[in-house]
Amino acid sequence: MTTAQAPAAALIKPRAARTAPIPRSVSPLRRGDGRSGWLFLAPFGVFYLVFLIGPTIYMIVASFFNTSMVHTDLGSFAGFANYAEMLTRPDFWSAMWHTLQFTIYTTPPLVILAFIFAVLTNRVRRGQWFFRLAFFLPFILPSATISLIWVFVFTPATGLWAFMQQSLGMTPGNGILANPNTAMIGIAIATVWWTLGFNFVLYLAGLQDIPRELYEAAAVDGASNWSQIRYITLPLLGRTTTLVILLQIIASLKIFDQVYLMTSGGPGVSTQVALGLVTGTAFTDNRVGAASAASVLLFIVIVAVAVIRQLFDRAAARREA
Amino acid sequence: MTTTAVRPGKRPSYVSGAAPAANAGRIGTSGKTFQIVSVIVLVVFAIIWLIPSLFALKTSLTDNGVAALGAQAILTNWNPTLHSFASFFQAGDIWNWYLASGITSVITALLTVFFASMAAFALSRLRFRGRNVSFLLVILGIMIPTQVLIVPIFQMLNWMSLLNTYWSVIFPQVPAVIAVFIFKQFFDGIPAEMEEAARIDGANRWQVYWSLILPLSRPVLAAVSILTFVGVWNNLLLPLFVLSNPNLMTIPVGLATVQSSFGQRYADIQAGAILAALPLIILYLIFQRQIVEGVTGSGLKG
Amino acid sequence: MAQASGLSRRGFLAAGLAGLAIPALAGCAGPVAAGLAGSQLNPKTLVYWNLFGGGDGGRMQTMEAGYRKTHGGASSLQATTFTWGNPYYSKVTLSTVGHKPPDVAVAHLTRAKPLWEGGILDPITDEDLASVGLSADDFSEAPWKAQKTNGHNIAIPLDTHPLVMFYNVDVIKKAGLLGSDGTIVPLNSMDEFEAALAAVSKVTKGPAITSANVAGETATPWRVFTTLYNQHADATPFLSDNGAKLTVNWDVFEDVVSRIQSWVKKGWLNSGLDYGTAQSYMFTGKAGMYLEGEWELTTAQLVKGLKFDMAPLPTLYDKPAAQADSHTFILPKKDRSPEQRKQAMEFIKSMLDQSMTWAQGGHVPAYLPVANSDDYKKLKPQAHYASAADHAVYDDPAWYGGSGSTFEGIVGAELGLVQQRAATPAQARESITSQLKIYLNTPSPL
Repeated sequence: MTTAQAPAAALIKPRAARTAPIPRSVSPLRRGDGRSGWLFLAPFGVFYLVFLIGPTIYMIVASFFNTSMVHTDLGSFAGFANYAEMLTRPDFWSAMWHTLQFTIYTTPPLVILAFIFAVLTNRVRRGQWFFRLAFFLPFILPSATISLIWVFVFTPATGLWAFMQQSLGMTPGNGILANPNTAMIGIAIATVWWTLGFNFVLYLAGLQDIPRELYEAAAVDGASNWSQIRYITLPLLGRTTTLVILLQIIASLKIFDQVYLMTSGGPGVSTQVALGLVTGTAFTDNRVGAASAASVLLFIVIVAVAVIRQLFDRAAARREA
Repeated sequence: MTTTAVRPGKRPSYVSGAAPAANAGRIGTSGKTFQIVSVIVLVVFAIIWLIPSLFALKTSLTDNGVAALGAQAILTNWNPTLHSFASFFQAGDIWNWYLASGITSVITALLTVFFASMAAFALSRLRFRGRNVSFLLVILGIMIPTQVLIVPIFQMLNWMSLLNTYWSVIFPQVPAVIAVFIFKQFFDGIPAEMEEAARIDGANRWQVYWSLILPLSRPVLAAVSILTFVGVWNNLLLPLFVLSNPNLMTIPVGLATVQSSFGQRYADIQAGAILAALPLIILYLIFQRQIVEGVTGSGLKG
Repeated sequence: MAQASGLSRRGFLAAGLAGLAIPALAGCAGPVAAGLAGSQLNPKTLVYWNLFGGGDGGRMQTMEAGYRKTHGGASSLQATTFTWGNPYYSKVTLSTVGHKPPDVAVAHLTRAKPLWEGGILDPITDEDLASVGLSADDFSEAPWKAQKTNGHNIAIPLDTHPLVMFYNVDVIKKAGLLGSDGTIVPLNSMDEFEAALAAVSKVTKGPAITSANVAGETATPWRVFTTLYNQHADATPFLSDNGAKLTVNWDVFEDVVSRIQSWVKKGWLNSGLDYGTAQSYMFTGKAGMYLEGEWELTTAQLVKGLKFDMAPLPTLYDKPAAQADSHTFILPKKDRSPEQRKQAMEFIKSMLDQSMTWAQGGHVPAYLPVANSDDYKKLKPQAHYASAADHAVYDDPAWYGGSGSTFEGIVGAELGLVQQRAATPAQARESITSQLKIYLNTPSPL
């Protein structure tokens, strides 16, 4: 703290003295906070209202109308028809199922591998930068890059994946993305490769919070490296793990890019996910009303998970306090 | 909270590379074996993790004709060529796409950092009616999944006649509520006495914000602006639907929607993938620490 | 610690400004102005969008080059090829809704209909046609009639692409079905056709004919079914009232679908093959015939050592019919000056004039001066199947219909299941009815 303050304080003093030479009294310092407060909030507030709250309200309103992409008005009143339609549509439920499927496929490797990589990286003494680069760099690359690379890796018969299968004595089939039964696995593999780095750095950060004395005490007691991990690291990273899982669920619910770029929801609708259904209904079928109803349903699910997360955070904070 | 990232004064030690378990002197034989096993496991997985990128790079440096023959041909070909990159730059589209990605990312990062830090300053340092309600709105805003709002956002941009302009990509991404939250947490950690001293010296609120708080907040400013830049650069969903003019497309959208007409030019495609990622790779190499800390911080809070 | 963190505030601002300044320095003012101020990019340049990949894409580029050569060089045309299918039509719609459409775009005829219903298209008047010396008489009847909607011309057809029958000449010869002219003998009834299937099957010791129906392939089962369905005298439109009514004749449906399934049961037709494998069967002689749109001509021609030919699918019921669609040119709705209208029409005319290039890829030209020319009539195997286009049957207009649409997806998937013998015709009927219900009951958003 101190190191940060000193130069800054030194910086501010002369400048403040220059701009306002007449000192004011202490007591009215808070006077006028109200007006300034709103002025400081205003620029962000405008964007917040126009591009966050406004669309949310519009989405809810439009979900009760037969709103069309190609007409400017709301269209005729539909009541709950859009909701009834979505809740009875097989492709809505299959999109929800594919989202769940994606979560089931990606979460275990993303949690377990990230945990292992982080614990091991944390313990090696040299070359940490290299492992961070290898595991974390893909996370900040565009989904377009990830998808182009992996679609190419999965090229049927001649791709890198098929080449490896052949080298291992397996017969490559029609390609993992061309088969409705395996396409989601292909997307999951690409996603694990892409986003593992995020969990990896979260775990690394969590590891920093474990007091070094714990390990030292355990080491003095003759605990092996393995039992240190088993009895100290693992339990103390429990909270990070829950966080990682909840973040992964929320991210899965919002999955769009990889699916759109790698399979466009196909073959058939075997990898279609919720946001794909929403954008398809709105931008292909031109049915903004129905798409809004689907958006609201998805919105509710995501907010519910986010609320669970907040409650969990709160509870954990209380336990710690 | 487990926050270790962007808080003044408390610096995560992993950044410096010091591992806690490396308590020198107290490592026995089992410790050494463990070290060696750890390194081997990590190196193996790191190589697995690097293979797809390196394979893409190798392919992009291969002739299209060779690349069409498949992985084996690509891996055993030793005549690297920059032809694919050259043809991308000659075709010209890539320049417009870089331009669109660069302009939208930079402007969004500037506006987000500026507006969000102002709002956070009000929420953290000023006492006024409605402050708590505003802060509650910010907290609630964190939970709003903006991706799900793509359809109404499109409609609103259409009413504002902003479709097919850079603003249609910029504006909806400015209200990044998480940024306000991160700034506020940081500002909360700056002692009030400093601000009061400045105020007594006659600085008004703007001067406190601009000349005291912001200079103290360089780490978090850097982290948020870099993360916003990366986020906007990588965004696909929004620009995919609001930009339909090929000249104005951002790189991910251009690569995803505009296809080359002559069959499967794998080398060209991989060159495109690398060109889209290149600025971010450079950014990572320069701002490694800010990016890792920022991602960790926003992950833990958002 | 604060100083150590890389970016200073001033540096940050400077970096931002530099980021803004670079484009200006680089002289890329065009897109920047368009992106920031919404100005038009280059009013003189004709903006043209299409969705042609593969061989079609190559031929289209040749034609674009032809236009540039005669109309003012490289800057006269900006052509962009988008990824095929629904995303393309979304882009056309969204760009028009957002007031920045291309000047001319390609659309399937069956997809131009919902675009027109949605107010996305400018009608093409007789004056527009006359301005470049065109008239209704210049176009084949089937596509021209099909594009006409409520008395308006909504699209100018470039071609017709019907479902045809590819056959492996060696296999057909072995089965004794090759006529003296070197083409397959006429098979003019169901009995003759089935006898031929039996004969070919004996030669291949497997399927006689293949048609793709698995791995997401829903369009081909639909194409095959609707071709045979419309050969029936009692066939009614599958959908009516722009998709509000399901008016298919279920008796004919069950007749046709059971017949297709019976071929599978007898081993004449494959039960489940994906798109690529279905054609490789015919290419390699594992099957004698193969049903698909004529565009697979390019692929077949690339197979080394393959002797193949093409013919219309024989008339098995009462009258000839072939499921088809047309690539057309559309004018998305926008404010156009008379010069811009003329420019767009000139581009279309230039494309039509180059129909011969286009026809190399298998598509049957809709522009009669080319379709009736000796050059085209000499083109083989095009000449052997071009008559299929005369009996083109287009998908019924519906807001969720057309090539590659939701409708084709739903119905085609069920038909694919019947061919796999995973569903009975009655089950397919039930499933189609229940899945289409939401669309039938939903008022058109257009």
